[in-house]
Amino acid sequence: MLTEDTLSLVILIAFLGATLSFFILPRVGKASGVVAALLPGSLFVAFVSVLPDFSLGEGLHSVEQTVSWVPSLGINLTFRLDGFSLLFSLLITGIGALVALYAGSYFNDKPAAYRGRFLSYILLFMGAMLGTVLSDNLMVMFVFWEMTSLISFLLIGFDSTSKAARDAALQSLVVTAGGGLALFGGLLLVGMEAGTFSLHAIILEPSLITQSPLFGVIAMLVLIGAFTKSAQFPFHFWLPNAMQAPTPASAYLHSATMVKLGVYLLARFDPLLTASSVVAGIIVTVGLITMIVAAVQALRVDGFKAILAYSTVASLGLLVTLIGLDGPVSAVGISGFIVAHALYKAALFFCAGIVIHATGAKNLGEMCGLFSRLPITAVAATLASLSMAGLPPFVGFIAKEYVLEAKLESAFATYVTFVTIMVNTVLVAIAAIVALRPFYSRRNVFQGKLLHGETPGMTTGPALLAGLGVFFGVFADIPQHFLVGPSAMALAGAPFFVSFEIWHGLTPMLGLSILMVFFGAFLVWKWDAIHAVTARWTLLDRLALEKGYFWLFDGLLSLARLSTATFQNGSMRTYVSATIAVVTGAMAYAVLAGGLFEAPGQAAFSGLLDEPLRPYLVLTTALVALGAFVAAVAQSLIIALVAVGLAGYGIAIIFMMNGAPDLALTQFSVETLFVVIVTAILVQIPTYANASTPGDTSRLDIRGGDLLLSLAFALVLFIIVLSIASKPFNPALTEYFSATSLTEAFGRNVVNVILVDFRALDTLGEIAVVAFAAIGVWGLLSAGEGAPRDSEASAQAAGLALPSIIFTSTARFFFVLMMVASLIVLFRGHNEPGGGFIGGLIASAGFAVLALALGVNMARERLVLHPFVWMGTGLVLGLVSGIPGAVINGSFLTHQWADLDLGFTTLKVGTTYIFDIGVYLTVIGGVLAFLIRVQQTMALKAPTPFTPTSSTPFSSTPSSSASGASA
Amino acid sequence: MTLAYAAIIAILAGCGIYMILAQNLVRIILGVSLLAASANILIFLSGRVNSEVPPIIPSGAEALADTAANPLPQALVLTAIVIGFSLTAFAAALAVKAYRSLGTLDTDEMLDAEALGAPFPVPAASKTVAAKTEG
Repeated sequence: MLTEDTLSLVILIAFLGATLSFFILPRVGKASGVVAALLPGSLFVAFVSVLPDFSLGEGLHSVEQTVSWVPSLGINLTFRLDGFSLLFSLLITGIGALVALYAGSYFNDKPAAYRGRFLSYILLFMGAMLGTVLSDNLMVMFVFWEMTSLISFLLIGFDSTSKAARDAALQSLVVTAGGGLALFGGLLLVGMEAGTFSLHAIILEPSLITQSPLFGVIAMLVLIGAFTKSAQFPFHFWLPNAMQAPTPASAYLHSATMVKLGVYLLARFDPLLTASSVVAGIIVTVGLITMIVAAVQALRVDGFKAILAYSTVASLGLLVTLIGLDGPVSAVGISGFIVAHALYKAALFFCAGIVIHATGAKNLGEMCGLFSRLPITAVAATLASLSMAGLPPFVGFIAKEYVLEAKLESAFATYVTFVTIMVNTVLVAIAAIVALRPFYSRRNVFQGKLLHGETPGMTTGPALLAGLGVFFGVFADIPQHFLVGPSAMALAGAPFFVSFEIWHGLTPMLGLSILMVFFGAFLVWKWDAIHAVTARWTLLDRLALEKGYFWLFDGLLSLARLSTATFQNGSMRTYVSATIAVVTGAMAYAVLAGGLFEAPGQAAFSGLLDEPLRPYLVLTTALVALGAFVAAVAQSLIIALVAVGLAGYGIAIIFMMNGAPDLALTQFSVETLFVVIVTAILVQIPTYANASTPGDTSRLDIRGGDLLLSLAFALVLFIIVLSIASKPFNPALTEYFSATSLTEAFGRNVVNVILVDFRALDTLGEIAVVAFAAIGVWGLLSAGEGAPRDSEASAQAAGLALPSIIFTSTARFFFVLMMVASLIVLFRGHNEPGGGFIGGLIASAGFAVLALALGVNMARERLVLHPFVWMGTGLVLGLVSGIPGAVINGSFLTHQWADLDLGFTTLKVGTTYIFDIGVYLTVIGGVLAFLIRVQQTMALKAPTPFTPTSSTPFSSTPSSSASGASA
Repeated sequence: MTLAYAAIIAILAGCGIYMILAQNLVRIILGVSLLAASANILIFLSGRVNSEVPPIIPSGAEALADTAANPLPQALVLTAIVIGFSLTAFAAALAVKAYRSLGTLDTDEMLDAEALGAPFPVPAASKTVAAKTEG
C-alpha cells in the first residue's frame, strides 16, 4: 500500500486532512472526536499493511520517494520509510487516533468550536510528526521538527486565558525552538561537510563528518537540539511545566511522541556521534544526570500529571543513555523501551486525565478509593503501571530486561548500571503509587460527587493501550518480528537476529529486576516519609536551569528598560550626542587601525607642511573660521545667521580662487537666498537661544561636554583630511572627463558637461529632491495654520513692502537685469562658467529682490504661474530630453546633437540644452516655493498663546520692521 | 595650503557639531548648514586643490590643460550645495511649524511622544518569577 509512489501521499493526506478539519470538526458536534480519529486511524491502517514487508525475516527493508522541491539548493522532498521510522509512524498514528477519540470525549462539555480547534491542532501535529520521522532530507526534516515545536506551543497554551499556561507555552517554545536553532546550524554544517542533505546517504559515509574539523561543533549543536527537544538536563525544566496543556495533548505530545524526537534524532545520528568516545560519554552522562534529577523530582511532587511528567523525563534520560552505549542489544533496548513506554505512559496519562476530569482534583493526595466509581480506568491504570514497573508478563518487563542487558554489556563503567537500577527502582515505586493511590487507597475515601463519569470515548484509549502492554508481553514474537525487530535492524544498519523474549534463563538481569521490585516496594511502603523529606530539598530547585531561564528573560527585559531609559530618554540631544560620539569613535578607530601614521604617510604629512601659503586665501579661511566660531557661540540667532552667511561667502571666495567659478557662483547665490529665507523665518520665532530668559548677548555660554565632543570630532576629521590629501591621487576619472567632454559631449565647461550629460540621471534625481523639499515646505507651512488666501495675502503683503523709495524704484530694474543675466548664464553654461543651477539661482535671487522691495505678492504675480508648475515643467523637460537618447541609442539621457545650418554659420544644438532648461526651471520653482511660502507665513500673526515674550530688537533687519508694520 | 583647508574643514565641522548639540532648533539647523559646508570643502579638497585655472577647455584644444582644476568634485559639490540649501529650507519650515504647534524651539521640551508613556508596562512575568524564586 505504501510504495515508492505513494509514500509522500501520507504527508499530503495528513496535512490536507488537518487543514480541512479546521472547517469540518466544529460542524460535526459531539462526534468530532470520532471523525477526527478517522484520519490517524486510516493512516495507521496503511502503516500496518506494510508491516509484513518489514518483518524480521525480510531483513533490512525501506521505501523511498523523492519529490523535487528546491533542486538548486539540494533540497528535495525525500521521504524514507524504514523499520525505525515505521515504529514511530505506527505510534504517531495509532496513539494519535486514540488521543483524538479521547479528546472528543474529554472536551464533551466544551463548545464545538473549542473542541474542533483542539482536535485540528492534534491532527496538524500528527502531520508534522510524520513529516519529521519520514523525511530523509535534513532541511525538510528540520522544517517539520520546528513545526512540532510551534504546535506544541499552541497546545500547551491552549487554555489561553490562563497565565500559567501561556508562560509554560512560551517557555517550551523558547527552549525547544532555541535548541532548534542550534540544530539548524548543526544540520547545515553536516550538509556542507557531507555534500548532501540526505540523512540516509550521510549515515552511509560517517567518516565525512567524523573526520571533519567541524565535528566537535556539529556534535554539540545536534546534541543541544536533541537535548532541548527531549527535555534532557539541563533543559529538562520545560516538560513538567508543559503539563499545563490539556491532558490529551500531554498524553500525545509530552509522553508518547514529540519528546521522543530528540531520541529519534540521536538514534539516527548514532553512527556519527558515538564514533567519538567523548561525545558518547557526554550523551551517557547527560542521560544519567537527567535520570537522577527526574527521579528525585518525581519523589517530591504532588500532582498526578507532574509525577508522570518527571517519570517521562527519567525514561527519556534512560533512552538517551542507551544511545550512548554500543552494541546491538542497545538498539533492541531502545526500540523495545520506546514501544513499552509509549503504551504504558500514554495509558497512564489517559487515566490521569479521566481522574482529574472526574474529581476536579490535581494532586494525588486528594484522590482516593476511586476503584468502584471508575472501574475500567482503574484496571487500565493498574495494567499500565505493572508494565511500567517491569513485571512479567508485561512488555515493560521484556524491554527492561534488554535495557539492563545493554547496560551490563556496554564498555561503560558499572556506575551506568548502578544509576539505571536506582532510577528504575523509583520508577517502580511511581508506577505503584499512581495505580494504588487514586484507585485503591482507603485512607480518606473521595466523598465528593464525580463531575464526569467514564465514557467509552475516554476509556477506549487507556484500555486498549494497557491491554496491548499485556498482549505484547505474552505474545512477544509479534513485537519481535514486526516492531522491535525491524526497528533495531534499521538502527544497527544491518540485519541480525533480534531476540525479544520474556524468558531467557536465569540471567543477571532477572536478578536485578527482582531486586528493583523489592526496593520499589520498600519505597512505596515508606512513600509518605520519603516524600516529606525530599520535598524539603531545595537544592535541585536552586540548581535548576529554569532559574537561569527566568534570569535570562528578566535580564533581557531589564536591559531593554535600562537601555530605553538611558538612550531613549526623550532628550534629542542625548541621541545626537550618542550618535556623534559613536561616529567620532569609529572614525578615530579607523585612523588608528588604518595605519594612517605609518610611513610613507609620515613623509607625505611633512610634505603638506612645505606647501606655500597664499596670504589672501589664508585670510579668507580665517574669515570663514571667524564666522563659524561666532555662529557657534552667539546668543542671538540673528547674529548666528549672519555669521553662518559670512562663512558661506568666505567659502565662495575659496572656490573662486581655486579654479571653481561655477561653485563660487552657486555658493554666492545660495548663501544670499539662505539668508533671505532664514531671516523671514527668524521674525516668526524667538531669536534668542532661550526664549524665556532673553538675555545678555555679551555673555558667552559654553557647554563643556558638547565642546569636548565637537573638539574630538574636529580633531579626528582634521587628521583624516590630512591623510586623504597625503595619499596619491588617482586621476583616471578626471582624465576621462577631460578627454571626452568636448569630443563626445560637445561642451567646453567640463563641470557643466558632467552635470547635464555624464551624470544627467543623478542630476535629474537631485532636482527632483529640490522639488520634493519645496512641496514639503509648501505643505508644512500651510497645513492647519490657515495660510492667507490670495486676497488676504495681498493685503498683508502690501503691508510688508518696504517704505524705501530708492529700493522699490530700483528693484524692478534689478529684477529685469537679473533675469537677463540668469538666461545668459544658463545658455552659455555649456562652454563657459554657468548652467541651469546657477542661472536658476540668479533668477530666484531676482525674484527675492522683488519680493523684498514690493512684497511677496508682486513676486508671485511676476512668476505668472504657480511655482509647482515651474518645477513640474522643469522636471518634465529633464525627462523628455532623455527620450531621444533612449530611442536612438537605447540609453536614456544620452544626449543627441545636430548641426543647425543658419546660412551664415552652423549652430550645434543638442538635447543637453533642454535638460539644462529643465534644471533652470525646477530650481526657480523650488526656491520660489520656499520663498513665497515663508514670506506669506511671515505676514501671519504668530498664534497668540505662544507669542514670544522676548523683546527682541528687530530694528536692525529690514524684514523685521516689516513684521512690526503688519502687527 | 592643504593644511589651511584641512583646518577650515575641521573648524566648520566642529562648530557645526557644537551647534547641532544645542537645544534650540534654529541653532541646530544652522549647525547642519555649517556641517554641510564642511563636507563640501572636504569633497572639493579630495579632488586635490592645486590650480587656479577653471576646468574649461580652451578654444582650439580638445581636452583640459594639465594645469586646469579637477572638474569632477566641482560637479559633485555644485549639486550638494543646492541640495543642502533645500534641506536647510525644509528644516527651517519644520522649525516654524514646530514652534507654531508646540510653542517652543527647545528640543528638550518637545516631549509629546514621551508623554504617551512607556510602550509596555512593567511585565507581570518578573513579578511571578520573583514570587517563585522567593517561595
